[in-house]
Amino acid sequence: MKRKDKRPQRESSANPKSRERREARPPARPAKAEKRGDGRAPAPSAARAEPKGKGGPSNPKRKARRTGRNREHTPARPEGPRLHLPPPPFSPSSGVIDERTAAVEAGLGDTEVDSEEAFELGIGARVVPPTTQYGEAFDSTPPPVHERKGDVEAQIRALEARLDGLIRQRHFADATTETESDEPVSERRGALAKTDSSPPVRLEPAEPPVEDFISRKWGRSALRSRAEEFDDFGLDPNFEQRVKPVVEFLYRSYFRTTAEGIDNVPAEGRCIVVANHSGALPLDGLMLRAALRIDHKQKRDLRWLAEDFVYYLPFAGVFMNRVGAVRACPENAERLLEKESIVGVFPEGVHGIKKLFQERYRLQRFGRGGYIRLCLRMRAPIVPCAIIGAEESSPLLYRLEGLTELLGLPYFPITPTFPFLGPAGLLPAPTKWRMRFGEPINLDNYGPEAADDHVLVGRLSERVRSSIQAMLDSGLRERRSVWFG
Amino acid sequence: MSNSLTSSHSLTLAEQGRLGVPQTRRRVVAVTGAAQFLGSNLIGLLEEDPNVRKVVCLDSEAPTTAGAKSRVYNVSLTEASAEERMAEILSAEAVDVMVHLAFLDSPSHSTAFAHELESVGTMHVLNACRRTKVHKVVMRSQTLLYGAHPTNPNYLSEKHPLRARRSEPFFADKIEAENEVLRFGRPGQGRIATVLRIAPMLGPTVDNFVTRYLSHRLTPTVLGFDPLWQFVHEADAVRALRLAALYDVPGVFNIVGDGVLPLRTVIKLAGRTTLPMPRSVASGFTTALWLTQFAEAPPAFFDYLQYICVADGALARKELGFEPLYTSREALIDYANAQHLRDVRLLSETPA
Repeated sequence: MKRKDKRPQRESSANPKSRERREARPPARPAKAEKRGDGRAPAPSAARAEPKGKGGPSNPKRKARRTGRNREHTPARPEGPRLHLPPPPFSPSSGVIDERTAAVEAGLGDTEVDSEEAFELGIGARVVPPTTQYGEAFDSTPPPVHERKGDVEAQIRALEARLDGLIRQRHFADATTETESDEPVSERRGALAKTDSSPPVRLEPAEPPVEDFISRKWGRSALRSRAEEFDDFGLDPNFEQRVKPVVEFLYRSYFRTTAEGIDNVPAEGRCIVVANHSGALPLDGLMLRAALRIDHKQKRDLRWLAEDFVYYLPFAGVFMNRVGAVRACPENAERLLEKESIVGVFPEGVHGIKKLFQERYRLQRFGRGGYIRLCLRMRAPIVPCAIIGAEESSPLLYRLEGLTELLGLPYFPITPTFPFLGPAGLLPAPTKWRMRFGEPINLDNYGPEAADDHVLVGRLSERVRSSIQAMLDSGLRERRSVWFG
Repeated sequence: MSNSLTSSHSLTLAEQGRLGVPQTRRRVVAVTGAAQFLGSNLIGLLEEDPNVRKVVCLDSEAPTTAGAKSRVYNVSLTEASAEERMAEILSAEAVDVMVHLAFLDSPSHSTAFAHELESVGTMHVLNACRRTKVHKVVMRSQTLLYGAHPTNPNYLSEKHPLRARRSEPFFADKIEAENEVLRFGRPGQGRIATVLRIAPMLGPTVDNFVTRYLSHRLTPTVLGFDPLWQFVHEADAVRALRLAALYDVPGVFNIVGDGVLPLRTVIKLAGRTTLPMPRSVASGFTTALWLTQFAEAPPAFFDYLQYICVADGALARKELGFEPLYTSREALIDYANAQHLRDVRLLSETPA
């Protein structure tokens, strides 16, 4: 509240001229009421649209500091349009104000749209951020669409289209007239307060704004390589893009993976891929995802469910999340299936990855059949999958159980190379991998209520397990060499 | 503004009969914690609402937003006589709905006071409501109460148990208060309890421990962990409270913005630098800072820098008709912009 009190003073001190203008304007209150009635909708939509843009509504000053130029804002322009509200850095606002808003104002001045008229038409609504005055800010819901006057709306649309043209035009003009920006802050502020006249802006479609390039290159440079939009489960598309070459190398060249019967995975709709789990360093989830990405006709997106213990570990949990793993729990799996995506499940869980080399390709128990319940509830088909070769790539010779408590790991792996070669020992051996996808198992003839039938769930789970075991056995019989398949 | 209640979205929900009892008479709403951020903004909103006849403001100081409809009473919930006084006021003003917002936004060093205010104060409020004709209590709660755990699903539903550390009084008092309120609204008594579990609020004017955490130049994080966070914009939080006060929808609702962001992205979008520390180092460090009152939260809050605690707002959308205007990311950016302005002003005020 204190902050709120301070604002008006600042505003008035920052830009006396604009204040005069505002006072000169006829009754402020009715105009605002009008704005609320008609121009309410643009404000939130503008606020919504902004952050997705390239540069986004970053603080102009900050950006200017970073980029070393501040040409994207009116202030730096020696000859600019008359501003009728204080420019962004000193406006009382703190909402989503950015160059675009400033440009809207600027454009208004240029095109002989009377600022009064514009204000009443609701264009001013963009200028006053939605959160400074609580009365308007918290006006809860957008006004009903049917109540809007058709003609006013049309006018607004037309004006907006015109302004968009102007904004683009302005970017272009700004980019061509190179302005310096290394003056100190105080001087720049002087420039901000300066009101001046500018040559009339031509209304032509402009070239793509150069500013885009700048903001891509310098704006929020820290985020350059990281996505700003993450999906619900923490997958980072940009990060994935960066590790993609590594994953593809592993998939194609290192493990020389072949995916047989991958067409058994449906081309669309939800589905659960059930596979055997293996390896001291489990890469099978990542490879399963890569298989569907690379070899499936529809390039389907598989998310695999990872064991809980991963998320207790530093780095591992974050890494797994960023490349597509999801913590294994019914809520997450249901949410994924509701989005009609493919879920990769390793029902053996931790027991799968901590089995010793001598137990390889012998499937452990399939948990309590949670995945079967999931399928029954969500009506998703099951595609059994046998992964051959993965169990030899990082064979577990011995597991130290004593260290588990200390390290928070379910087991401490001893492989032929780890820990004797240090972290490098965790590198998997280049065995030949074969993935076999079986015929989809459809559980549609059981209703969702069957999920509560423990006997049935156990039986179905066993059926899936034995089909995967059979695929494993036949695959192993056919295999002649661990290294060459 | 005059007909914000009959706006298209709410109207459809009301027409479908989902929003319970139709409004037969204009309501009298009492607000505790009226001078705080949420309270004062809610009062400002209700002042303009035609469906509200009177707003009774209860706090130890007057809200700045009180207007013609408001009756301001000086009530301190930490006094022993609070219940008597509240009951008198509530019956004299014929209050229909109690919006209970007298909770601390940020962890406090005076845990005894916090306990009196939050846990015992809620008991006073509810007893006063029981003694009068108040048929409905709306309580502000927090999604933080779910607790950050590596075993949390990515979106916690309202059915999920509250697993925040009970050893931390900030959580324990609020969980107790929430249980009390839910007992008040147990079905069969003709009373309604609505609990809004609000995600951490961000916005240009709100001030809480999350905004303070994000305002440090160097923002501490836990090495090797990057949990997903979500926020709600302050305006959305107040809108949700208004909906809950005006429509009779019993139950617990998560009030969250759409979308999630990893903590590191949050800090970078806020324009700060991360300071990753191993948890063991960090907690010792923070304990010292907390005891000397330099940190904004005790070390128990490191859980939230380490593990996920993100709630699902689907139920509020469906039953309360609450549509957030801002996503988590937009709320964060709105906050960050205001914060940068503040930073710039600070710099210009104190040239150094």
